[in-house]
Amino acid sequence: MELTSPVVRIAVLGSGDVDSETHSDDTLAALRRLGPEAEIETYSDIESLAGDPVVAAFDLLVLDCDDSLLATKWLEVACKVGPPVLMVSRDDDDESALDAFRSGAAQCVRVGSDYANVLPATALELIHQWQRKREHGELERQVLQSEKMASIGQLAAGVAHEINNPVGFIHANLFQMSEYLQDLQGVWERMQVLQETIEGGRDLAGIRAASEALRDVCQEIDFDYVKKDIVKAVSESQEGSERIRHIVRDLRDFSRQDGGEPTLTDVNMCVDSTANIVWTMAKHAVTLKKDYGELPQLRCHRMQIEQVLMNLLVNACQAIEEMGDGGNGEKEVTVRTERRDDGVAIIIRDTGVGISPENIARIFDPFFTTKDVGAGTGLGLSTSYNIVQRHGGEIRVESEVGNGTTFDVWIPGGDERKGDASEVPIAD
Amino acid sequence: MQTESRSQSTATLPVVLIVDDEVRILSAMRRMLRRERYEIVTAEGPFEALALLDEREVDLVLSDQKMPGMCGVELLAEIGRRHPRVARILITGWAEAVEEDELARQGIQGPLAKPWEDAELKEALRKAVAMVVARS
Repeated sequence: MELTSPVVRIAVLGSGDVDSETHSDDTLAALRRLGPEAEIETYSDIESLAGDPVVAAFDLLVLDCDDSLLATKWLEVACKVGPPVLMVSRDDDDESALDAFRSGAAQCVRVGSDYANVLPATALELIHQWQRKREHGELERQVLQSEKMASIGQLAAGVAHEINNPVGFIHANLFQMSEYLQDLQGVWERMQVLQETIEGGRDLAGIRAASEALRDVCQEIDFDYVKKDIVKAVSESQEGSERIRHIVRDLRDFSRQDGGEPTLTDVNMCVDSTANIVWTMAKHAVTLKKDYGELPQLRCHRMQIEQVLMNLLVNACQAIEEMGDGGNGEKEVTVRTERRDDGVAIIIRDTGVGISPENIARIFDPFFTTKDVGAGTGLGLSTSYNIVQRHGGEIRVESEVGNGTTFDVWIPGGDERKGDASEVPIAD
Repeated sequence: MQTESRSQSTATLPVVLIVDDEVRILSAMRRMLRRERYEIVTAEGPFEALALLDEREVDLVLSDQKMPGMCGVELLAEIGRRHPRVARILITGWAEAVEEDELARQGIQGPLAKPWEDAELKEALRKAVAMVVARS
């Protein structure tokens, strides 16, 4: 029964008056059976618990309070702290236990003959569950951080590649245009001389000579060609410059920091800038079809939603790549947005390899992946799932092997949200 | 630089084929090489390049690496097999992804980097063309 290191910290919450003291003593004694590795602290009034920031880092909260009204108040505060709450019940009926669960308690132990064993055993189990969950959260945070770094690396490489060509031809064109301008200087000088000759009232021979000189220089530099090509060079360079601006704008949209509060967001813009970024990394072969509906502004955590979109779009591209030239030959990803049931739906369909029936039930499981070792951590979809859930939304998938996959994400527009989307174990 | 040791008696310009899937790159390169004495032909993809080579004599092929269908190294290797006389140079924005050993094995020169230095590119073309023309 004894814990081995590391140390765990348990808070015992109770009312602190004389009678309860005795009851709490039983509880304390039972918990002490966990051994010296269990540090136990007592809280005798609700305010001291509510005001203490340290207790959020505890491994378990045990509530032992006789007064049912007071117990309800305790539960309300305790269940918001974070660690699991274990309630001690001295009632015979099940009502109080049910109430405890409804309030958010993780477990309820009734005081009975085997209390001295049952309490520490239950405590231990809850502590281990909580530690595993926290470790997983920590691990998830670390992996997300490294996934994000890996995808930042990919993003940087993709961007460098995308702007490489425009930078190359703009640079070359500017150099050529300056040469053309130099050539044209010669033409303009001769034009000026001709004009002055005419206006200066020189004789016909003089004018003819100036005109010939102009014609000569035009021929020398191939004026007709330069005239057309300089226009073309400027226009092509402008197109290149526009492309670079577009990429910079998408990057800026993508990297915009998320505050703590959800904000009103234009979902079509999110989808569009994320899709554009993903396509700078995708191979040219995959076509992207956009079908944006008219959407209301959505109150959500924009960066998190973009993370979900990026995850789904990258998966879609990879599914198509995996299929290679097999299947139906189509290499297309369709992104559709529409208003649905007082919220927004984003539907991403790909014509890739598809997901087998055995795997489809598991794709949102953390660490589940069908990719080779090192190719993906398997957290992408489970994180996406969590994000959507925390927004009070739903994410569904339909797939057929060899025929492609469709992900359907729905996010409500109202304020009904399960849990809080801002407490997210995602690295910023 | 132009040498006249060709079997054809008339002074024909050396033919340079540039292959890149980005049409504005082809345009910028043609513009840059205007004062060099070449006949410039362009192809927007590997298959177009191979088809063109079946139709006419070319002295040098300058190819980009990342193209749909076939990468530059693959294209230039294939050209080496079909038209061994042709000089072949690779240009790429992604030099790290290219195996220099493979290039050497296939007799491909480069890789030249993108964005390119005008002077460096012109010099590489001049040297390569001179060698081809001298051999013929």
